[in-house]
Amino acid sequence: MINRVRELRGDHAWSQADLAERLDVSRQTVNAIETGKYDPSLPLAFRIAKLFRQPIESIFEPGRIDS
Amino acid sequence: MARVPEAHYQRRSIAAIVVYVAIVMLARTPAREATNLPLQLLLALLPVAPMIYVIWLLARRIWTSDELEQRTHLVGLGVATGVVAVVSLIGGFLAAGKLMSLEGAASFLLFIFPLLLLIYTATRAWVARRYGIDTLCENDGVPLYQKFGVGALLMTGVAIWSYAKGIDAFGLGVVAGMAGALAAGALAFGVRRWRSRRNARAAP
Repeated sequence: MINRVRELRGDHAWSQADLAERLDVSRQTVNAIETGKYDPSLPLAFRIAKLFRQPIESIFEPGRIDS
Repeated sequence: MARVPEAHYQRRSIAAIVVYVAIVMLARTPAREATNLPLQLLLALLPVAPMIYVIWLLARRIWTSDELEQRTHLVGLGVATGVVAVVSLIGGFLAAGKLMSLEGAASFLLFIFPLLLLIYTATRAWVARRYGIDTLCENDGVPLYQKFGVGALLMTGVAIWSYAKGIDAFGLGVVAGMAGALAAGALAFGVRRWRSRRNARAAP
């Protein structure tokens, strides 16, 4: 999955630790999401969308889907 | 429930382990020599108390972790449980087949929990690396050289105590070897930390 979390975080001038605190996750989890190493669960993705006041599909896009 | 800061968890775990080692050293002989059964039972089981505290700390830490952390904890605990189950079966069958003395089996059992924690920590670190997470991160929690330093001090204390009590040469060698290995680890991680801080200061 491709996401715009880093870009949106930058727009708000938040550090990873700031975003992690707002989402109630660890800083390392924020880093894993931003680098695409971890795809968040649906509830966490919705929390991210709500925090940035954006529809979920504008933040997360499906990447290459292996058949 | 609020998230448990890594440093908070690690400081309390280290304190509990220090208390555990102290109790094991101080209560072992009185437990064997006590004539009163309830007192003997109390002294024999006293070391379990700090370990129950460590398990409670670990459970609380996992409970308050986020979803990715819980995933890494789950894999770590799963692998550790599997390995410990196999090791316990081997120990149990060796004792049942009289290939190991009951005292040997009891000593074997004492190493089950440390083994579980060791495998859990190593597996979790390995799984976390797949997500770009360094569980040995020096920025979160107690620095590694301090953890190893405390371990080295503890094991040195145990070695001195073992020597004073006239414990056999093999047992003394194992404890002294562990103290040396932990001291070497403390030194290596101390140098690594010093070098990374020096490089960070030198960076523009």
